[in-house]
Amino acid sequence: MYVVGCMEGDCHFNEGNFRARKRVEQAAKVLDKIGIGGDRVKMYNLSSGEGPLFAQYSTEMVNLVKKMGPSPVRLARQRMAKKADAA
Amino acid sequence: MIIAEKKPIEEIIQEVEAYDRILVLGCNECVTVCEAGGKKEVEVLASVLRMNFMAQGREKTIDERTLERQCDHEYLEEIRDVIDQYDAVISLACGVGVQFAAEKYMTTPVLPGVNTVCLGANEDRGLWTERCQACGTCVLARTGGICPVSRCAKRVLNGPCGGASNGKCEISKDTDCAWQLIIDRLKALGKMEDYEKVAPVKDWSTDRAGGPRTVTREDVKI
Amino acid sequence: MSEYVSDSRLERVLKAGHLGVTSECGPPRGSDPEGIKKKGLLIKDHVDAVNVTDNQTAMTRMSSLAACVHLKLLGIEPVLQMVTRDRNRVALQSDILGAASFDIPNMLCLSGDHQSFGDCAQGQNVHDLDSMQLVQTVRYMRDEGKFLGGDDIKRPPRMFVGAAANPFADPFEIRVPRLAKKIACGAEFIQTQCIYNMDKFKEWMRRAVDRGLTEKTFIMAGMTPMKSVGMAKYMKNKVPGMDVPDDIIDRLSGVEKKKQAEEGITICVEHIQELKEVSGVAGFHIMAIEWEEKVPEIVERSGLYPRPEV
Repeated sequence: MYVVGCMEGDCHFNEGNFRARKRVEQAAKVLDKIGIGGDRVKMYNLSSGEGPLFAQYSTEMVNLVKKMGPSPVRLARQRMAKKADAA
Repeated sequence: MIIAEKKPIEEIIQEVEAYDRILVLGCNECVTVCEAGGKKEVEVLASVLRMNFMAQGREKTIDERTLERQCDHEYLEEIRDVIDQYDAVISLACGVGVQFAAEKYMTTPVLPGVNTVCLGANEDRGLWTERCQACGTCVLARTGGICPVSRCAKRVLNGPCGGASNGKCEISKDTDCAWQLIIDRLKALGKMEDYEKVAPVKDWSTDRAGGPRTVTREDVKI
Repeated sequence: MSEYVSDSRLERVLKAGHLGVTSECGPPRGSDPEGIKKKGLLIKDHVDAVNVTDNQTAMTRMSSLAACVHLKLLGIEPVLQMVTRDRNRVALQSDILGAASFDIPNMLCLSGDHQSFGDCAQGQNVHDLDSMQLVQTVRYMRDEGKFLGGDDIKRPPRMFVGAAANPFADPFEIRVPRLAKKIACGAEFIQTQCIYNMDKFKEWMRRAVDRGLTEKTFIMAGMTPMKSVGMAKYMKNKVPGMDVPDDIIDRLSGVEKKKQAEEGITICVEHIQELKEVSGVAGFHIMAIEWEEKVPEIVERSGLYPRPEV
């Protein structure tokens, strides 16, 4: 998952993007601790007019996730579903 | 208010390993204000626990609920009709709430999800600092409103000791010397003559030392 | 009624109008008393009494009381240092009586360094009383012959009671009011933190004399010789409540390394000579930790030897 916010200093809600960044960092820490992988959540800053940059970040995120593979939660769910089918 | 801090997630995971049906129980008062155990923290913790166990292929039931307070019978009663659906409760309330819940629901393990730290104030965003040790015999009138029991590392009642430098305590540059604060305050109030009054030996029997404390109000009992 | 409150030689020297001299020994980090006995014997003829520190910097050591007993049995007069960090009022009174049972005649009351400095940083601290209340307690036990709880003491302690003072801690403006408070609580002698900033100390003394405090108590100036410029810098930067002016550092660095210790002793002697002339200074408390062998030289070169007959 990636969170996109305005450039730092330009937030319409003043500090919203700073708070969001802190929360993303917290989430990443916890995900690391439980073995899911903190890199699965990231924050990007850009302004609303930067379409191409947004596309670039999206691609970056997609490639990152592809490299990491499915999350352990998804994999576990898949295994459980298979077992249920077989039964 | 009571200040608490979230317990490390590894510790909580270990606490609930053995249980399959868990209720994460938050509190809407102090722990909400210090962002350790309110509704938001309950959601996050429940979600993290679900992900953690799911990733191991173990599906646990993890429910969420936040009560107004956990130190009053009437709010804790609200979960009486559902408590038997759970093998354990993680209470994100302060130590008081965890215990009160445990006393009420004797056959369900109630586990702490936060570490209760102190009685304090919200000095700044993300910063809570101790102000009161609940000694039971408040001396604030004599010390310009600054408490030497909770804010002096040696609870010196006739301070400062010889270790303060630049208004900071010998234990850390980040800790104010309580007696420097008291002196500044007495000066501001024009009451420096109070400084030389010798504070008598303290009666600690109203403090923790005297045993668990009780307040009874006959005028309030029916 | 005897004019003396105790059998203390220190008390007699000071009350006779002589400059008193005390020094300090730290008990060992073990149970072998030979070290402290040796240190005591090294200095016994050059001082009126020897302070024994109480778990200094919160490092666990042999108890001050036990070490004082070892010295007393050798004919050396101890000053029992007692901090309020580690003992509640029951234990404090109890140890005072224990010391009095061996006729230990002097006591110095202190708060004690915070336990986070020592080897038991996870321990509790007590501070049931603070250092001023401890002074009051000893005086009460001695003069009223009663325990804090009100009961009579069989054979009350007879001790000459002192407190520590730090003219260099913050804030400076209350350092003399604080001294006044200690005296009001009953401190009969004061030993100061070691002095390097002579001007500041003289200013503190001047204010103390102005307030008439030197008529009510004996102020002994603390002196610690520097072993090296490294020690001087360490004390300047790392020890709380310590004031080491740059000219001391400069003087020591101006001398080659192997002569710095000698220079440090010379500075100490010069300071003592200078302070002998300052009104209100009643004596010197020479703290040469782990360098006790230099105390006789310092006392002799300062013209304080032999010690007077009383």
